[in-house]
Amino acid sequence: MGATEQAVRTGIDEQPDLSMAERGASAALVSQARAPRRVLPIVEILALLVAVFLPLVLQDYLTVFATRVIILALFALSFDLVWGYAGIMSFGQALFFGSAGYGVALLARDLNVTSIVLVLPAAMLIGLIVSLLLGGFLLLGRNPSSMIFVALGTLTGSYAADRLARGWYYLGGQNGIPSIPPMSLGSYDLTEGPVYYYFALGILLVVYLLCRFLVRSQFGLALAGLRENEQRIAFFGYKAQHLKAIVFAVGGTIAGLAGGLYAFHEGFVWPNMLGVVISTQVVLYVLFGGSGTLIGAVIGAVIIEGVSFWLSDNYRDIWPILLGILLLLVILFRPLGLISFVLGERERVGSFGGKAKGSRHAAP
Amino acid sequence: MASAFVAAFEILSFGAIIVLVVLGLGIIASMMGIFNFAQGEFVLLGAYVTYLAYSHGIPVWVGMAAAPFLVGALGFVLEALIIRRFYAAPIVAMLGTYALGLIIRECVRGLIGGLYLSVPEPIGGSIDLGSVHISAWRFTIIVVTILVIIGCYLLLSRTTFGLRVRATLENPALARASGISTAAMYGTTFAFGAALAGLAGALLVPVFSLFADLGIRFLIQGFVAVMVGGVGSFIGPVAGAAVIGTLSAALPWVMAPVIADILVFVLAIVFIKFRPQGLLSGKGV
Repeated sequence: MGATEQAVRTGIDEQPDLSMAERGASAALVSQARAPRRVLPIVEILALLVAVFLPLVLQDYLTVFATRVIILALFALSFDLVWGYAGIMSFGQALFFGSAGYGVALLARDLNVTSIVLVLPAAMLIGLIVSLLLGGFLLLGRNPSSMIFVALGTLTGSYAADRLARGWYYLGGQNGIPSIPPMSLGSYDLTEGPVYYYFALGILLVVYLLCRFLVRSQFGLALAGLRENEQRIAFFGYKAQHLKAIVFAVGGTIAGLAGGLYAFHEGFVWPNMLGVVISTQVVLYVLFGGSGTLIGAVIGAVIIEGVSFWLSDNYRDIWPILLGILLLLVILFRPLGLISFVLGERERVGSFGGKAKGSRHAAP
Repeated sequence: MASAFVAAFEILSFGAIIVLVVLGLGIIASMMGIFNFAQGEFVLLGAYVTYLAYSHGIPVWVGMAAAPFLVGALGFVLEALIIRRFYAAPIVAMLGTYALGLIIRECVRGLIGGLYLSVPEPIGGSIDLGSVHISAWRFTIIVVTILVIIGCYLLLSRTTFGLRVRATLENPALARASGISTAAMYGTTFAFGAALAGLAGALLVPVFSLFADLGIRFLIQGFVAVMVGGVGSFIGPVAGAAVIGTLSAALPWVMAPVIADILVFVLAIVFIKFRPQGLLSGKGV
């Protein structure tokens, strides 16, 4: 292990003139060849196995709950891509989740469109368009926007959308849009239950693998560089703002997909789905599980929702307080999330190839 | 004429409330570079202290006078224990203070339940100007806001304390080399910002009544106001708050409230995008 590390280090240090991406790529190659990643695939496969066999042991109402968690994990993945990999603090990720949810709800209510092959692409498209518009406005332009501006801009967008949905009669006002008909494939209705669970799990798996491919590609390496040192990436000739806008739009698309699934699973949409509550909820998932690792986002969503569900019978009142305290402890003492208990820093860093000492997330 | 006057008064009094809420937020953001997500909860705590005094039979104005000191003390303790670790990383500070705010908010929610609790105005009744009646308490809020702004301005621009705070903001390393304890300065500034939020909460609770999401209601408006005004000075956020408060109170008079609500945010974000330094770009105090 020590020798391998030495090899990787020297491999990097001997090529100071290569661009960041190439350097990262060579580091990734070296680590791929000589230091087999051990923990991450194990965690991923374990998580998949648990997810696949879970409905066999759960009662029906718990399967419905587990489906919701799977969808929220998909949503968490979208935020993790944007924050954990590209370092864009999107405090309004629920905007894409919620507008896609509202969009498909309107499609189903007013146009009677419930076919899976139409509504899910529609949800993704809505997420993509909204995130392109917002991201394009916030991120592009002559002067690079500050991180604070992007964070507050997304937060404000989400809050304003929440207020709009509450006040607009067409969208159902405070009550949202109730009783959305189930998604259909031909004459088959996809209602909540094991089938929906496996459907959502399948989508999560596909999106997860796509994201995994993305963050380990050259694009992912550039993103990692962007997060660690934006200026340097810009000096290397990358259009940093464009990279950010692209990953923001990808995140928005995934969030839109999750929003569409969520709307049809719950059977209704309501203004909270767009607002600050869900936006911050997804931040909690990712910080808890561990940002910058895809599986961390999934684990965070599962743990927070699971514990919340388990406690809600007896300790409903104190759970949010506990959540706040735990979150504070994680931010202060485990800035890389729960996953960092099993996943070493080297493996986390190696998983997307860049050489990153420490992390920007880390509190000093 | 009379209704125009009433409208102007409504707009002015809402603007004053926003300014009061933003004062503390702006001081912490400008002087320390932290966007404090727990600021709304400091407002909530100020309101809660006032309610607590009232429900125990203590005169309301005593509760209002005590609120800024209690909330300020809490702010001092929190800064020493937690906030101090966040200075180097603004985004982490956002998340950390969000967690802090969540804890405070949920504690208060646990204490008061999901209720809306009303607190009477210590100065009730109305001021009559001919045929026009304006609320005496809202008028008091406007007066207090103006006094507090003048007080803060004098404190920051005319006293040694203010000089030290500004020196710490301008160049922490040089301030330390000149014998100013920057850690103590940050602690005091944060406590001062928290105390202002506590005062705001105490003053506005008779108007809005006490509920757990009271602070959240003002937080995002407050952030937007700080950005519009410009981070880095005392006057900037105040000016921003005046603009945002006036706009959000005035627009519903001329268009549908739903549209007005959204329009304020959209205008503000567009404005910040094209003028990131804000209305007043860090000039003056």
